[in-house]
Amino acid sequence: MDVLFPRTIQELRELFVSYPDGRILAGGTDLLVQIRKQGNKPSTLFSVEHLAQLQRVEVNETELFIGAGVTHQQLLECPIIKQHFPVLYDALSVLGSPPIRHSGTLGGNVCTASPAGDTLPPLYVLGAKIAISEQTAQRCVPIAQFIRGPGHTILKQGEFVTGIYIPLPMPNTFSAYYKVGKRKALAISIASLAVMLELNSDETVKNLKLAWGSVGPTVMMLPAVEDFLKGKILSDEVLAQAGEMVMLSTKPIDDIRASAEYRRHLTANLLFYLCSDSRLDSI
Amino acid sequence: MPTWAESKIMHHNSRLITSEPLVIGRSAPRVDALTKVAGEEKYATDYYPENYLWAGIKRAAYPHARIKSLDISQAKNMAGVISVLTSQDVLGSNRLGIFEKDQPILADGIVRHYGEAVALVTAETKEILEQALAAIMVKYEPLAAVFDPEEAVAKDAVVLYPGRADGNVLLRGEISCGRGAEALVDCAFTAEVSIALNWQDHAFLETEAGVAWLEEDGTIAMIASTQTPFRDRLELAEALKIPPNKFRVRVPYLGGAFGGKDGITVQGFLALAAQHSGGRAVKMWYSREERFLAGTKRHPAVMKYTLGCDREGLLQALDCTILMDTGAYSALGGEVLELAMEHAGGPYCIPHTRIKGAVVYTNNPVASAFRGFGVPQVAAAIEQVVDELAKIVGFDSLTFRLKNAVRRGSVTPAGVLLTQTVGMGECLSKVQEHRLWRERQSWQKSAPPFKRRGVGLAACYHAVGFGPVIPDYANAKLELTTDGRILVSVGVVDMGQGNASTYMQIVGHILFQGYDNMELVLPNTSRTLPSASSSASRTTFTYGKALTEAANILKERILARALLLFSFQLLEQLSVQDLVLLPGRILHQPSGREVPLKMIAGFMDHSERIATYSYTCPVNKQVLPTGKNLRHHGYPHRVFSYGVQLVRLQVDTLTGEVEVCDLLNCIDAGCVLNPQVFEQQIQGGAAQGIGYALFEDFALQEGKIRTNDFSTYILPTAMDIPNMETVVVSLAEDDGPYGMKGAGEISIDGVLPAIANGIAAIIGTRITRGTLTGEKILLTLRQAGKEAVR
Amino acid sequence: MRLNFMLNGKETIVDTQPDRRVVDLLREDLGLIGAKECCGAGECGACTILVNGISRLSCLMLAAQLEGMEVTTIEGVAPEGGFDIVQQAFIDHGAVQCGFCTPGMVLAVMDLLHRNPQPTSTEIREGLSGNLCRCTGYQKIVEAVLAAAALLNGRRG
Repeated sequence: MDVLFPRTIQELRELFVSYPDGRILAGGTDLLVQIRKQGNKPSTLFSVEHLAQLQRVEVNETELFIGAGVTHQQLLECPIIKQHFPVLYDALSVLGSPPIRHSGTLGGNVCTASPAGDTLPPLYVLGAKIAISEQTAQRCVPIAQFIRGPGHTILKQGEFVTGIYIPLPMPNTFSAYYKVGKRKALAISIASLAVMLELNSDETVKNLKLAWGSVGPTVMMLPAVEDFLKGKILSDEVLAQAGEMVMLSTKPIDDIRASAEYRRHLTANLLFYLCSDSRLDSI
Repeated sequence: MPTWAESKIMHHNSRLITSEPLVIGRSAPRVDALTKVAGEEKYATDYYPENYLWAGIKRAAYPHARIKSLDISQAKNMAGVISVLTSQDVLGSNRLGIFEKDQPILADGIVRHYGEAVALVTAETKEILEQALAAIMVKYEPLAAVFDPEEAVAKDAVVLYPGRADGNVLLRGEISCGRGAEALVDCAFTAEVSIALNWQDHAFLETEAGVAWLEEDGTIAMIASTQTPFRDRLELAEALKIPPNKFRVRVPYLGGAFGGKDGITVQGFLALAAQHSGGRAVKMWYSREERFLAGTKRHPAVMKYTLGCDREGLLQALDCTILMDTGAYSALGGEVLELAMEHAGGPYCIPHTRIKGAVVYTNNPVASAFRGFGVPQVAAAIEQVVDELAKIVGFDSLTFRLKNAVRRGSVTPAGVLLTQTVGMGECLSKVQEHRLWRERQSWQKSAPPFKRRGVGLAACYHAVGFGPVIPDYANAKLELTTDGRILVSVGVVDMGQGNASTYMQIVGHILFQGYDNMELVLPNTSRTLPSASSSASRTTFTYGKALTEAANILKERILARALLLFSFQLLEQLSVQDLVLLPGRILHQPSGREVPLKMIAGFMDHSERIATYSYTCPVNKQVLPTGKNLRHHGYPHRVFSYGVQLVRLQVDTLTGEVEVCDLLNCIDAGCVLNPQVFEQQIQGGAAQGIGYALFEDFALQEGKIRTNDFSTYILPTAMDIPNMETVVVSLAEDDGPYGMKGAGEISIDGVLPAIANGIAAIIGTRITRGTLTGEKILLTLRQAGKEAVR
Repeated sequence: MRLNFMLNGKETIVDTQPDRRVVDLLREDLGLIGAKECCGAGECGACTILVNGISRLSCLMLAAQLEGMEVTTIEGVAPEGGFDIVQQAFIDHGAVQCGFCTPGMVLAVMDLLHRNPQPTSTEIREGLSGNLCRCTGYQKIVEAVLAAAALLNGRRG
């Protein structure tokens, strides 16, 4: 494989024209592992390590932009992520391991589109939009539309992700990411739950977004469950009822890590972290 | 391309390399740590000889099949391919094995497990090697296969070795004491468990590897990652029809082994490849996936136990069966069964026992030695049934064990008279006094929301050495160089347990020298002497004894020569009692005169400067009326180490995840030569036990390994293992050097049952099959009405 | 392809395939056998090196990516004739058994202490969660890091 280093988005676009079977090398933590396992080497790799336009993190009054080439570690070190996007911060903290976070990128995690990708449920509850570079233009697509299935995005040949736009959350929003894996690090998620929550002054739910990972072909959101919980206090009983609703809607698979049945029960049980997370006390 | 010289200890300016003499009992930092932290220590994987070639294996795609045709022509004709070898090129018996020679180096007609070696390719580069392997065309006629050991012993089972008298049974045995199982009927209380345990992969970080080349005189020289260099030569000699002294095997430090390199792994392939490589060196290095596929594993086991006691809670009777799956080839399967059966009743006095065991062939991967060697399996059963019985009788799990623990002079459930030190009671008492035990109620009560806490306990023991028939021997060798330095032969491979450094410590202690005046000679069939395998918790126990004697012999010679010198200098008749060895010199105390060690060495002939000592461990002389066919497999042993493992657990009732919050290991392995090295062993073994219990959910389906890499076979990370406490009970065991016993395996034996007992105490129901995964635990919680409880 | 980079403080030029794995380049071409391969898939950390001071997995890096970088392998850690504080702490606290994980572990520790000079035990375990060890059970490694951190902070203080 040849390895090329485009310095601008325009250069990268041109490389896709010259090398149609080329693939982007970001952190390499998915791509190189996959190539080793399956032996399907592309002729050319485009490393985005030196593509400055993809390394930006910018914020204005309404939204945050994270360049596709920003590493997980860089994001963890951004005060704004820890302060305003704790759900994403949580997920980055439990993704892979330190060296993986040093090279893995948000753009890569999104494009790999694994059903178990740790950054995905947070991006869903955050209402993230994916910025796509087409041959001559740009477009933005909500993440729920961007990811079509396990390992599949809507990217057409020659297109690539330039970054992710995330609206700034309302003040006093609680957000968190809960992950169940087979160990505490280097673990592919068996089931996970991202939460964004706003409470009324009487502690009833004002606004709620829930997104589950690893329990379906893509991240699962259940507006019916969110609606059910709105206006209620998050007691054990209420969450148990919500859990029953969730279990009816979820269709996970059996795989080497877990059975569908285990995943189904986790989907419901993870809701109980909403009434036992000590961080809730501070909102 | 430079040639890589044999590794030497670099003399860095470090606090460690001082002339401070070594002393037994002190936590001297390990000498091998110096080169290892600097990345300078070369393992078998790190040799890239001049002009070397890569060798690799074509592996079977079926668990049981006849090879109909093997077409190597395309591969052979590929540019950059040096040789393609098959069983036709193996000139000897083509059979490996330690007790039963049943395993081909390269399959000759039949393959009996997935991944069995069929052909051997040597090529210029890794890429060409891969292409050549892919170009070998093998046509198989699949045969019916058997994967379940219970099926394997059934009447019309598929038989792997049609000629064998006992079908698929490699070895079966029975140990019976007192009135055997009949005595259960008279017991006031009984309890039963049926336990099925999973496989475990060693998952050492340095996979199987080595390099080999032909010397000018036709000797095959090899650097290999193996626990058994001398035995390897004997095995290969017969299989390849090459005299043993035509192999020269050198063994660097191993990057872990834990029993998985106890025998032939790549050595046969390397030897063959070297014979056909046109004089060039060949290198082999298993990928992680290949290691999973081709390497040995821990025996899975199915065990049924019934245990009974009298009204007072004194154990009376045990009836148990043990069935182990050894996979397609025998390897050390018989020995593992023996050790399991010998330990099946735990460290308790049980007068009436019937212990039945069998180890059977299946078309699964090969199972063989793995730290614990059958004892972790039976400990999982006995320790859980003991807990069950304690509950029924109304004792807490510790008191019940104390009541029934063996002492020195007791007879074990296998009929073994314990003549040597027994620290079982002391270990249990120390744990009883420990805060982790005393505070167990408050631990239980302090669980956070949706979590449940509990404590689990297990007691265990572990025999040292090979038993009464196979000699547990060592040949120590020391050399005083003309520079006055001491070369310490490392007779037994150091696979990470620190025995090499401990050997230096022993010699330093006796000869009053520091690290800076000594050097290690790592195992080398041309330089060190045969001293048997790095295994069976005997690596310092046996070699250390031999070394102590050799060091004393050398000391005597040094002092005798120094005496002569002083006599001439002082013109008096002197006594050797007037002399003492000091670092680098000898002192005549009454006069204060000194002479450098180097000078004395200069006066000694080469033959005087080398001291050797041949030692064989004493054995248990009991002639037992039972288990007769187990005798040469090791029954009975003589020296045992003892231990208690206690864990504090927290279970998440939402997810089933278990956290081991604390682990206490209380160990009697005799006197401790080096507390730091001792703790290293105990902590490491405990961590592997936690992996075995909770994380390493090996998945095998129809003989095919599904968990064949580190993303699916889960090892605990630093976030998954707690801080561990080691408490030492140190009884002086005369059989061992400086009173020690083996400590390599006792630390893993009871961990799984301690965790299982803890989980059972928390949930109220016992999980008895396989790895204790979050999934199983959540299911069990649900069935017990304890899922998602605040 | 010709590559120019700093390796253990020295300017280094190599000529190799752009997609050659860095771990192979180091071990097979440059004789630096400290970085180990033990899984080839980023799951064990034994191949850890520092690139521009950041810990990276050399089994998941391609040679072309080294251009212009500053690479530190374990061989470049010790000052002439001595040991780095982290290495000395590993020796003193019994953090080395078989030693195969040790080079990667030491570099991971150096990365960690650079980011977090006074880590707690928990933070150390998190920081080393990408480095598997099969021999030690990690405890003495954690103790060594605590000791090294204390020493380093003592020196700074």
